[in-house]
Amino acid sequence: MTTPRQEIELAVGFGKHIEKRKVDVPDGDAPPWDANSKFTVVGTDADRVDGLAKASGRAKYTYDINFPGMLYGVIVRATIAKGKLDVLEVDEARKMPGIAAVVLLKEVGNKVRFVGDPLCAIAGTNLDVIRDAMEKVRAQYTTEEHNVDFLQNPEAPVLDGDGNLIDAWPEHEIGGVIAGAEASHEGTYRTEVQTHSSLETHGAVARWQGDDLEIWMSTQATFGVRGELARALDEKGHKPASVSLHAEFVGGGFGSKFSAGVEGLAVCLLAREAKAPVKLMLDRFEEHTCTGNRPSSLMQIRAAAKKDGTLVAWDTRSFGGVGFAPGGGGVTFPQHYIAEVQKRGAHKDLVCDTDPPRPMRAPTWPQGYFGGELFLDELAGKIGIDPLEFRLKNDGQVIRQEQWRMGAGKFGWLQARNPKPGSPRDGDDPRYLRGAGLASARWGGMGNHGGRTPHGCTCRIHADGKVETRSGAQDIGTGLKTAMAMLTAEELGLAAGAISVFVGHTADPSGPAAGGSTTTPSLAPVIRHAAWLARQELAKIVAQHLGCKPEEVTFAGGKVGAEAAAKPMLSWADACKLIGPNPIETRGTRFPNYKGEAFNNGVCGCQFAEVRIDTWTGQVKVLRMLAIQDCGIVIAKKLAESQVLGAMIQGISYALHEQRLMDKRSGRMLNGDFLRYKITGPADMPPMECIMMSVANGHTNTSSVGLGEPPSVAAPAAIANAVYNAIGVPVRHLPITPDKVLQALAARRA
Amino acid sequence: MKPFTYVLPHTLAEAHTAAKKAGAVLKGAGIDLVDRLKERIEAPPEVVNLLPLKNDLAGIADDGGGLRIGALTTLRQIAEAAALQGPAFGAVRIAAGLTATPLVRNRATLGGNLLQLARCWYLRSAAFGCLHGGKGPTCLAMTGENRYHSILGWHDCVRVHPSNLAPALLACGAEYTTFFDGKQERRPLAALFPDEPTAQKAEHTLRDGEILVAIHLPKPSGDVRSTYQETREKDSFDWATTAAAVQVTLQDGTITDASIVLGAVSPVPRPRAEAAKSLIGKKPGDAAFLKAAEMAVAGASPLSQNAYKLSLCKAIVRAALTEVTR
Repeated sequence: MTTPRQEIELAVGFGKHIEKRKVDVPDGDAPPWDANSKFTVVGTDADRVDGLAKASGRAKYTYDINFPGMLYGVIVRATIAKGKLDVLEVDEARKMPGIAAVVLLKEVGNKVRFVGDPLCAIAGTNLDVIRDAMEKVRAQYTTEEHNVDFLQNPEAPVLDGDGNLIDAWPEHEIGGVIAGAEASHEGTYRTEVQTHSSLETHGAVARWQGDDLEIWMSTQATFGVRGELARALDEKGHKPASVSLHAEFVGGGFGSKFSAGVEGLAVCLLAREAKAPVKLMLDRFEEHTCTGNRPSSLMQIRAAAKKDGTLVAWDTRSFGGVGFAPGGGGVTFPQHYIAEVQKRGAHKDLVCDTDPPRPMRAPTWPQGYFGGELFLDELAGKIGIDPLEFRLKNDGQVIRQEQWRMGAGKFGWLQARNPKPGSPRDGDDPRYLRGAGLASARWGGMGNHGGRTPHGCTCRIHADGKVETRSGAQDIGTGLKTAMAMLTAEELGLAAGAISVFVGHTADPSGPAAGGSTTTPSLAPVIRHAAWLARQELAKIVAQHLGCKPEEVTFAGGKVGAEAAAKPMLSWADACKLIGPNPIETRGTRFPNYKGEAFNNGVCGCQFAEVRIDTWTGQVKVLRMLAIQDCGIVIAKKLAESQVLGAMIQGISYALHEQRLMDKRSGRMLNGDFLRYKITGPADMPPMECIMMSVANGHTNTSSVGLGEPPSVAAPAAIANAVYNAIGVPVRHLPITPDKVLQALAARRA
Repeated sequence: MKPFTYVLPHTLAEAHTAAKKAGAVLKGAGIDLVDRLKERIEAPPEVVNLLPLKNDLAGIADDGGGLRIGALTTLRQIAEAAALQGPAFGAVRIAAGLTATPLVRNRATLGGNLLQLARCWYLRSAAFGCLHGGKGPTCLAMTGENRYHSILGWHDCVRVHPSNLAPALLACGAEYTTFFDGKQERRPLAALFPDEPTAQKAEHTLRDGEILVAIHLPKPSGDVRSTYQETREKDSFDWATTAAAVQVTLQDGTITDASIVLGAVSPVPRPRAEAAKSLIGKKPGDAAFLKAAEMAVAGASPLSQNAYKLSLCKAIVRAALTEVTR
């Protein structure tokens, strides 16, 4: 059966770039917004709906869930990096006072793959008695020689003393193109492991009532982990009759919380065995070492351009420092500069005996953009062309062309650029060098309809005037709840604050995992659809009362009524009184994205940074940053800006501070805490500005595109380029710590 | 943490008697101690909390001969103290204000800052057993991961002294008073730190049960100025990679007295007397500062991963001298 469709002409694009485009809209969908739509709530500066609850501590995260008689759970983990588990004795631990359950997570004879590989889990009355019991668990191993440095993998490429890859490039005609070009360049770039560092660690509270399991979990995939747990428990012989999951507030995930993980399964098994609710939250060291990371990378780039700056060839080979499991170590280079050029790329993941990667905010992109954009600035320097001009020449994207120009004007690009890299700016203390850099951002994030089970949303209007919008998907801090309130308010002519929003309970309609910048674009059309259907229901009731046609009823400014009607407009409260005891309840449908090409199949952005380097101490200080970013039609402006600013902070952190430091001998992470794992703090944050562009893409009824990933793509690269402009030599290895800056300065002097 | 007996003393004598018992530890704010207990690198049978003695052991007062700063004075109180506002004690004020975070500074005490256990990542983890922690045959950092460790004056352990107030107070000529066996004893601050900071030695020289009561700063005479600077990898909540406290006396545009003390580069805070002496009789200027900075790291022997700290250390001495004579 095919859905009947109607063809509608939309105005798509932005600013002066508006085009008419016919789209195929499924029958029954809300009429699509486009570039000409006028909004009263959408796109405004409404506050985060749960901001006060979060700031005041009233918001209850998984960590805050407690029950009478609740026990605590802890995972006992391997202390060696590689080998085989020979003995695992837990009987003594089980007999310790206060211990209620012990479940085995690794069988004797199985491999140990990294320091932190789970062995068993223990539940008890408090964490201290469990720690005592953990000391009684006896594990013996046959150890094997381990390696925690991906560049020590036997298949790793050979580097010279400066960190440059020296193996010859594989034969290919592109070599000839580069050799014969007017300008060419080559460089090796490197990044270190970054951990997700979510403020709320992974974990859950599990409670069985008979065979019914209820679980509160810090997750970014409510429906995914519910299914995962049901299957895993079935395999363990504890098939639940039902599983309901709650994730009302989640303290960050950044891609690390798509799976229930071993901790999710362990807490369910412990609660089953202990016959009591159990809370198991990982500690900070486990969070750093056992829940994934952004993998390290090594990238070699060579490329060629004409004297006028037109790129003609692009050749890369890259290596990802994955843990014990191959995969997930890729790097993504900025493709929008090289769509038309001859290119080649090869990638290889290098395993070592550590925790493997998990997706982390724009997985594979910040690494490749750091290498790619810094490389482009080096090449621009060789040609003698301004980096901005170089971008404008090669960037095929019409939205970003506009963004580059807007950003450069707003930032004062030419004034911020150091005309003599490596020399102090006029009037500055010669101890300090300043410079400016820029970089691009790109992502897809058009959203999806959910496949076999399309995403849903419930909208209810009650007789007392209350409006509920409900989704079972989770808001990991990105702002889904606020978007839901604003979309619903827009349809009903109310203020965002008048809407009650419920997320994160699997009893409500299903929604996507919060990943890949898909939550808002996937859910916005269905949230709106549910509200639009509810509005029509209310319009019918009001029309009957007013004696007009339903389609004549308007909803604006908290008033419901019709100009043409004999009776006056009703207040929202009075209109709702007509509803009666049963609320209006509608279930929105997420139709597939419209057929045909969207105006832009994704989002564009660019960022600018100015830095100051202390040449005595090597410390890099970011002085200011600017981001220009689009996410389709902007729904919640303040939250969109918050996403971008947060990504810029995370980008500063990745560029300057964050790295996992491993003890090679033991294979154990040395800085697995927030004292030694360095994350940008308030004193390191510069003034930052974000300008959101609205672009009507014409692919759904709301034209919204995801925003989580893209702003994190540009920030590290922009900072690295600013450092290059300041000191005149590139620092090609993130994080740009003082020792590396001093080394670069010394190399420049030599 | 393991259960322990918690002692809340009414008097210094009671605290001393309790703290003398084998294995007992003294607690100020507990910023350092609670970390050690939670990590289970220590499991003392008895914890003696000094905070009930705050009335006697906290606060800054002029005792006629100079300033007396009680050991339980918080870092925030020191950073904001009116009595420390002059140029002579800038180093102390700045060092206190740079420490950790506002939340920590509101609680952390002067005594705790001076006496805390080194922050070496091997020492601080129950997963490792090292010589200084009394649980292993060698210093693990010496041949392991040592980018933040000693470059100067280390023996069989390459930890660095973590206190940032120690160099500042040493540079300002501080003394300290302790309570032991009913007696108060006053000594130069240098005596609080071991001469030969081997692995077996603690971070400080206090005997079991000896309680740090106060720090004393002499009355400055003449144009005395001090400052404190540290290099870090970030500005918010970071440990110093190197630190320098300097105090100089200027007379008619000439340096007549100077002290330079390095922090975060050695198992103890390191006064650099020769470097300081090189400044005496000189007019402030970059050439003299560069020479002093060079002398300050004389005899340094960096480890496999921390040679960069030599450049940082020279830079921070030069920067501190530039700042203090400005």
